[in-house]
Amino acid sequence: MFSRAVTLLLALLPALAPADDQPVLNVYTHPSFAAEWGPGPAVKAAFEEQCQCTLNFTVLDSGGDILQRLRLEGTSTSADVVLGLDTGTMEAARQTRLLAPHNRSLENLALPIEWEDDIFVPYDWGYFAFVYDTEQLPEPPESLDALINAPDDLKIIIQDPRTSTPGLGLLLWMHSVYGEQAPEKWEQLRGKILTTTQSWSDGYFSLFMNGEAPMILSYSTSPAYHMAVDKTDRYQAVEFEEGHYLQVEVAAMVKTTNKEALAGEFLDFMLTPAFQRHIPLKNVMYPAIDLGDELPEVFDRLITPDNTLYMKPADVANQRRDLVDDWLNAMTR
Amino acid sequence: MNTSLPHAPFSHPGWQLWPGLLLGGALVLLVALGFGSLLLTAGELDPASVLNNRYLRGVVQFTVWQALLSVILSLTLALPVARALARHRQFPGRSLLLRLMELSLVLPTIVAVSGIISMYGRQGWLTGLLDQLVPGHSWNLYGLSGILLAHVFFNAPLAARILLQAMESVPQPRLRMASQLGLRGWWLWKAVEWPAVKPVLPGLTALVFTLCFTSFAIIMTLGGGPGTTTLEVAIYQALRFEFDFNQAALLAIIQLLICGSLWWLVFRQGLDTSLLPRRRFSFPVPLPGWPGQLIANSLLIAVFAVFLILPLLAICFRGLPALLPTDGAQALYQQLLPATGRSLLIALPAGVGAVLVALLTLAASNRARNNALAAIPTLTGYLPLIVPPLVLGTGLFILIRPGLGNAAQGWTLVALINGLMAVPFVLQVLRGPMSAMDKNTLKQADQLGILGWYRWKWLYWPHMRRPVALGLAYGIALSLGDFGVIALFGSPGQPTLPVLLYQQLGSYRVAEAAGTGLWLLLLLVSIFASLSGVTRRSHQSLTQSSTTAMPDPEHA
Repeated sequence: MFSRAVTLLLALLPALAPADDQPVLNVYTHPSFAAEWGPGPAVKAAFEEQCQCTLNFTVLDSGGDILQRLRLEGTSTSADVVLGLDTGTMEAARQTRLLAPHNRSLENLALPIEWEDDIFVPYDWGYFAFVYDTEQLPEPPESLDALINAPDDLKIIIQDPRTSTPGLGLLLWMHSVYGEQAPEKWEQLRGKILTTTQSWSDGYFSLFMNGEAPMILSYSTSPAYHMAVDKTDRYQAVEFEEGHYLQVEVAAMVKTTNKEALAGEFLDFMLTPAFQRHIPLKNVMYPAIDLGDELPEVFDRLITPDNTLYMKPADVANQRRDLVDDWLNAMTR
Repeated sequence: MNTSLPHAPFSHPGWQLWPGLLLGGALVLLVALGFGSLLLTAGELDPASVLNNRYLRGVVQFTVWQALLSVILSLTLALPVARALARHRQFPGRSLLLRLMELSLVLPTIVAVSGIISMYGRQGWLTGLLDQLVPGHSWNLYGLSGILLAHVFFNAPLAARILLQAMESVPQPRLRMASQLGLRGWWLWKAVEWPAVKPVLPGLTALVFTLCFTSFAIIMTLGGGPGTTTLEVAIYQALRFEFDFNQAALLAIIQLLICGSLWWLVFRQGLDTSLLPRRRFSFPVPLPGWPGQLIANSLLIAVFAVFLILPLLAICFRGLPALLPTDGAQALYQQLLPATGRSLLIALPAGVGAVLVALLTLAASNRARNNALAAIPTLTGYLPLIVPPLVLGTGLFILIRPGLGNAAQGWTLVALINGLMAVPFVLQVLRGPMSAMDKNTLKQADQLGILGWYRWKWLYWPHMRRPVALGLAYGIALSLGDFGVIALFGSPGQPTLPVLLYQQLGSYRVAEAAGTGLWLLLLLVSIFASLSGVTRRSHQSLTQSSTTAMPDPEHA
């Protein structure tokens, strides 16, 4: 086995540099997109078939890190496209002035909201939702209000809005529903929060899948993975009456790229079935265009919120710090 | 004159001084530059923004408070365990237990925390047992109790391991004297054991305090809520989410001040801060015990072993299904093996580099007459521990990014920083044995012209084999499990083991992630086991040779 590892290791070395003189399109993205089982490899193969180019992913820890890297590198960045920002980080990314307008009509988008943005092109979307274990909790609360007023022996796992995207999502969700009263509601919810994890992964892997609490803040699409890949109906999302907060994941062209045509071609490609068909089960989100029959059957069995909650990225950027401070006060009082 | 003698390679005294000074100096400079470039980017600092902020003051207080409690608890457990292990040197499974004690420090936190939760969480095995024995108990893992439990799990074994080595180094005549005088209990502790652990205790306390002070993921996962925020979390928040370099720099300075002043206190006392004392192979001298001591010690060791093993067992149970040879496991191995190769590609040079740097800086500090020069290796040993890695990494990134051409350079950089972060631990392991060579031997060697390379090979190497192997194991293992550095600098498409683990976690592949966690655990065990295998042989041969040279009278 060891000799095999060495062989593999040697085989890996030449892969570090592309051999031919095809243009290279450098895309900054996050790990779950680029993972071997994620959409990345299939997208790379499909795009390289049509572009006579090499698609190169640079993998950063999260959407926040893509933005951080872009800010640190400034105009000397080697990125041509960034893929993996979301509605929470969009505004900060816009303010770097490092991203270029997409100049596209985006008419085939199929999102629950009207999309008007001259820089960012959505490639998938989903709702934040509480996922529950049907074996531990046959009758979950069916509204945010019911959850807040539930007895304290119902335990939930959430993520920290200071360090995690879904965590910030819940903060905005509560704010969208309760406005000024949100801090009081947080105080009421507090007794039910088993723990607040740094990242979604910590909570899902260490706690939820260990059966520590029957409910976790996650995505409405999470059950699709369990149903389609794990072949189990045990984990389901609960639909809340007040509606669900929306997350849209976006990509954008970097202003300093010298491969504008190629980067543009990639953004166009992103909204074709050749790219989008890998989103539902490999990124476990809704595709940004209507895939028709190609949408996996399990997606028909997911919750379909009547009311989509969404704050404009500029408002999020303006209010985030205050909202986080209010949350901290409510939770540590 | 010496002209008749063959000239030994590297025998000029400068070879002992300058490489170490240059390397140590370069490391200190690297840290200073990384931190400095962040400070420059941050611009003018406004201390009032932190000092007048109620939330941040609370964060600082909590960070110190939980670190203090963790230190007290870890040492309270470690001392009696080390005492018991020093008293009983032969029992089945003892060396396995020692390997486990080395392991806890290097285990990736997410894997260890998952194991701890499977034991002590709401649905944990032990909690279930407690439910049956004491219905209506109020045990709750999440909160301060969980943080302390996890910190004791990570740090008590490390502390006990180091204290044990201190106690094993008690000179034999002293032990024999104690035995003849019939010292026991308090008097034995006062006359024999306390003098042995006293020199290592300040450095050990400072080390454990620093590790708990800078703890991050454990605190968030087990802490329960934002009431248990530590400085490192606030730094992460400022850097990653607020892009507030100013605040990040201020918080990092506070951390440097608190941990730095603790280390300064330790050094000012002029105490020997080496964690691994000079190694003498003293033989077990039967000491009189109080009635029931054997039972009490056996019980203590058994409980401690169970405390260490149970979470690891949970990791095994959870990960095993994914690693068993079934159809699905094939695909997992196709990712695990190359990822292991890539991880070793980073960890082996990082580990070897850390050991070389540690040896050379130690040689330099032993040789340096000047106090300022002698301080450099000391700084190298502790600075990387107290500068928040995220701050260091971000600063270095700002500094060297324009020169960061291709992926190969990126990997080199990751190996370099991993090696740097491992140097403090390796130094702790090597410092004691390196300075243990007695003056007469060295003088004799000087007269015989055993210098340079030969001096190392004939005099130092036989004594240093074991510590070097242990240091190497720590260096490799720490780099192998590292996620932070590689995440910061970004990896090419192909993941290392920890990155693979996080990718699996990020895409619902819970079973595979558990398998990868177990794989990492097994890899770490085999690294420690194989490197300690090298050393056990040398230990035995030394013991035997000295036994034959100077037979020890059997004590009645």
